[in-house]
Amino acid sequence: MLKLGQFEFNSHLILGTGKFSDTETMISAIQASGTELVTVALRRFNQDKPDDDLCAPLAKLGNVKLMPNTSGAMNAKEAVRAAQLGRELSGSLFVKVEIHPNPHHLMPDPIETYAAAKELAADGFIVLPYIPADPVLAKKLEDAGCAAVMPLGAAIGSGGGLSTADMIKLIIRDSNIPVIVDAGLRAPSEAARAMEMGCDACLVNSAIAAAKDPAGMAKAFAMGVETGRAAREAGLMPKSDIAIATSPLTSFLG
Amino acid sequence: MNTVIDKPEQKTAPLPDWLDPSPWLGQSHSAADVRHALGTESPNEETLAALLSPAAAEFLEPMAARAQVLTRRHFGRTVQLYVPLYLSSWCSGGCAYCGFASDRQTERHALDYASVAKELDAIKAMGFEEILLLTGERSPKADVDYIRDCIRIAAQKFHNVAIEVFPMAEEEYQVLAEAGATSVTMYQETYHPETYDLMHRWGPKKDMPNRLEAPARALAGGLRFAGLGALLGLSDPQYDMLALYRHARHLQKTYWQAGLTISFPRIRNEVGGFDAPYPVDEKMLAQIVFAFRICLPDVPLVLSTREGPAFRDGMAGLGISKMSIASKTTVGGYGDEGSEEGQFDVSDARGLDEFCDMLRTKGLEPVYKNWDAAYRA
Repeated sequence: MLKLGQFEFNSHLILGTGKFSDTETMISAIQASGTELVTVALRRFNQDKPDDDLCAPLAKLGNVKLMPNTSGAMNAKEAVRAAQLGRELSGSLFVKVEIHPNPHHLMPDPIETYAAAKELAADGFIVLPYIPADPVLAKKLEDAGCAAVMPLGAAIGSGGGLSTADMIKLIIRDSNIPVIVDAGLRAPSEAARAMEMGCDACLVNSAIAAAKDPAGMAKAFAMGVETGRAAREAGLMPKSDIAIATSPLTSFLG
Repeated sequence: MNTVIDKPEQKTAPLPDWLDPSPWLGQSHSAADVRHALGTESPNEETLAALLSPAAAEFLEPMAARAQVLTRRHFGRTVQLYVPLYLSSWCSGGCAYCGFASDRQTERHALDYASVAKELDAIKAMGFEEILLLTGERSPKADVDYIRDCIRIAAQKFHNVAIEVFPMAEEEYQVLAEAGATSVTMYQETYHPETYDLMHRWGPKKDMPNRLEAPARALAGGLRFAGLGALLGLSDPQYDMLALYRHARHLQKTYWQAGLTISFPRIRNEVGGFDAPYPVDEKMLAQIVFAFRICLPDVPLVLSTREGPAFRDGMAGLGISKMSIASKTTVGGYGDEGSEEGQFDVSDARGLDEFCDMLRTKGLEPVYKNWDAAYRA
């Protein structure tokens, strides 16, 4: 069970909704994934033009909660405004704080993200910040009242996999809130690896939207996440061999 | 001779869920479980339970090898040094196992400020930069004001001033942090509520939750490091060590900016005579240290002069990364003759030079200064 704020989810996979070729493909991928939480950019809300609006078709999916995100915001002030609008329009308390001022590599701004997350958590939002895989920042965001932290595995859309695995392990070790890998995953096996490491969930968008068969890949990611989680619970066998030193270290113990 | 222990007068409160080791007790572990624990990437309570189990006693050598690798990775080939100074033997406590308990017929002393300065000068002249100041339980002869003033004197001479005194309120810890204290050591003695109640026969120390929460209050009050430990021998070591581990992990997750250290004091024959109900031999102590190193790879592990030279020499760098030496457990004793009876008998009476020579022979560098007064509150 994935617990975020006061809500519980059976699925440990969260989907992003951008980059799909059309709304039908997006909906079929969401349904194939079994996810119960999707994130959607406020900038893709368009009440005036229904065929350009991502919010309404997602809202129709009864068993899936919406998490507006602040993608496009350059700083904390813009992100807070986007979050408030998103709450107004979607009726959801969830917000993914996403602030990446550089439009090329899309790396999250840790300073602005922290400021926005702190303000939004104090305002009653269920805040899930998208962050660099930084264990110190993760603890500061926990202290600020975030419901989870979402470190990147690699740059958004890069398919770089879990290049930050060592840092994510440190985040997991000391976190009292869920740790969700967001961005970078390309293959379901990487999602499985993240879950084996102890992540609580994975957020995937590009890898599904850009696959040849998005619904098929969504299902594969669902299986990857579940496989990794089951392996974590079953306990991986040890990696290292037990070597005995030639001159014993414990001979002083008699 | 056994000390007479009164029956508990009140029902003891159970441990909070975040600390209770019960779910990991009473399981039987196989050799396969121990091998699994030795190779795990993410150690937890289960790992520690396996490594503390009787089955793991057959794996001391591979545990030592793993402990050495992890110690080198996180601390290099160094051992950090510190030395204790007992400020006072006045005590309001009734610890059944302690040579300074308030019912012992021992002469009481407290250093006056001039003597404190003299003792500290003598210690400083030896080369130490980390000083641990100790008192007994809260008493009019050694209260918060006295400790604060002693810290001020020490802070003028030493970069790192640590205290091992009685549990205080957060505001009191704040006063001590502002006076220049950096670290607080607070052994829980035992985490087992019934045993705790039996061993602490009267006085403020009978309040177990108050002691349990003291390290958290100290960190909230501005101390940068907290030293934890349980007095091995008082209760079932499996119980106490699992609870100690959970206490440390709880603090790491809550006070994530704080540094922790863990010590492994083992009951020796204290003045006044006390037989440990759960004696821990050297092999078991070594197993405990190795297990902690594997489960908390980056936490400094401490071994004092309660242990003898052969054991200490063997354990240096093998899990242990911090050690005291040239210690007196009498009040004073560095600058002038100390009081006659110490809190416990020192088993490693070597001087600083001899000890450092031993470390260097083992390829370990003694580190005197690992903090700077510039970082004080």
